[in-house]
Amino acid sequence: MNRYKIYWLCQIVGWGMWGFFQIFLYTFAESFEVDQAVGILLQVIYNIVTTHLFRWLIIKLKWLNLKLVMLIPRILAFSLLLSALNYVVYLGATELFAGGVSRLDLLSVTIAVTILGYWAVYFIWVIFYFTFHYVDRYNKSLKVEAEAMEAELNNLKAQLNPHFIFNALNSIRALVDENPSKSKESITQLSHILRNSLISDRKKVITFSEELKTVMDYLALESIRYEERLSINFDIDRRTGEFLVPPLMLQTLVENGIKHGIANLKKGGTISIVTAVRKKHLTLEIRNSGQLSSGRKNGIGLGLENTRKRLELLYHGEATFNIKNENSDTVLTKISIPKI
Amino acid sequence: MKAIIIDDERLARKELLSLLENHPNIDVVDEAVNADEAIEKIEEHDPDVIFLDVQMPGKTGFELLETMERVPQVIFTTAYDEFALKAFEFNALDYLLKPIQAERLSESVQKIQAKSSKKGGNRDHKLGAEDQVFVKDGDKCWFVKLSDVRLFESDGNYIKVYFENFKPMIHKSLNALDERLDDRTFFRASRKHIINLGWVDSIDTWFNGGLLVQLKGGEKIEVSRRQSARFREMMSL
Repeated sequence: MNRYKIYWLCQIVGWGMWGFFQIFLYTFAESFEVDQAVGILLQVIYNIVTTHLFRWLIIKLKWLNLKLVMLIPRILAFSLLLSALNYVVYLGATELFAGGVSRLDLLSVTIAVTILGYWAVYFIWVIFYFTFHYVDRYNKSLKVEAEAMEAELNNLKAQLNPHFIFNALNSIRALVDENPSKSKESITQLSHILRNSLISDRKKVITFSEELKTVMDYLALESIRYEERLSINFDIDRRTGEFLVPPLMLQTLVENGIKHGIANLKKGGTISIVTAVRKKHLTLEIRNSGQLSSGRKNGIGLGLENTRKRLELLYHGEATFNIKNENSDTVLTKISIPKI
Repeated sequence: MKAIIIDDERLARKELLSLLENHPNIDVVDEAVNADEAIEKIEEHDPDVIFLDVQMPGKTGFELLETMERVPQVIFTTAYDEFALKAFEFNALDYLLKPIQAERLSESVQKIQAKSSKKGGNRDHKLGAEDQVFVKDGDKCWFVKLSDVRLFESDGNYIKVYFENFKPMIHKSLNALDERLDDRTFFRASRKHIINLGWVDSIDTWFNGGLLVQLKGGEKIEVSRRQSARFREMMSL
């Protein structure tokens, strides 16, 4: 059902019930009179028309976007105006169709009480109207927020660099003649990496030991490519294996270190990975030869900015990540991740 | 044909070398592992064609080409650089994706041979009409045959190179360029201009005994008084 239909249904059912209740009260207090009932029916129609006008005004003047402080006086004033108009119309109708206005109707007390009564009814209508819209809007914004978050996480998900895949395949091709058994091993390593990258599309986190295995395979393949230009050091704390990390996170950082650091050095360089458990956090230190280029904003490129955001979304601010030049020829990347 | 393979990865060079064994007309005379080494070896061997990796430590393949005056035929080899190669949409450019397919390599080799058979054996030190240069301006790159260049115009520390509808800038002085150009094709019209004689459309007399040359591309160039005498001499039989 669309919102316009809901609106009309509420209008008709709401005012219908109001009219029915009025007739019921009169019947109960005095007796059922057809004239009375017709009068109330006309009032129902009149009320539907005036509140519909009210709705038109609310939409036209964009009152839904107003702050409450601004909105409340406007609503009070306009519903009071409508109520007064209501009474004028009532007097007119009585004069014309019900044999004239009685003196009682013109007493200021009667006027005040009747108008206040109408006012209350309109005010209830307004409360219904605005509550519906606020609830609707709140639901929508929650939905939008959740969708945005999901989309952001998907965007930030690291992906395997195609450059790496094709270069690895090219090296392996050459290796088939030169060293058949090593080329077989490389094919297994590459398929492990490809399999993991497919899995990473589905999983939010994997164990650090799985991630580390991918990185080992990745580095083994890169050292086929770079040969003596790439040297690798590991110092892994066994306790770090069971921590949960986003897939391809370490992989992306190591890949960055090689691509921006070692690949640009004619003589090559070293990459080292040190892990430890400190204060119940997994700490990761990745060092690679090279320097952060000064041209980058805060020394952080887009890929690294993505890693940072990913950590923020997954660990709600409890993870830390920074990257800097440790000395004149080494870049240090440090990460600390809580247990989840 | 003499060829040099330029790639920082030993296995990548080896792989290409073994693929080229099926093409006995391509004679790989040397290999280079980076741009600096490549410059030396290109000067040493003067190859007809180079197989050039785009990503290398130090200078990239493009930066290497920018430093060279006369550019041999170039076949780029790359694993995945769509972005970098898009720069060449204006040119017939040849590139091979690694791992290289044997059939694609055969096509490239045939193309290279077709091109080089048209070329004369002109191998003196001057840049002649049949030589090509590499021009990079911002994100765009061109291989330009000098016979297609109508005009070189100096603009500060740069030279504007006029060809087709383009006039990219190269970082060079007009005097240095003038020395390298073959003066049978190119003429120093004034302090600011070098024109390609093959593109001259009409010549009119101008103030102070100078000349006004109109090129087939529509550009009007003043020839200084001092150079006008030489120009008359060259253009008359």
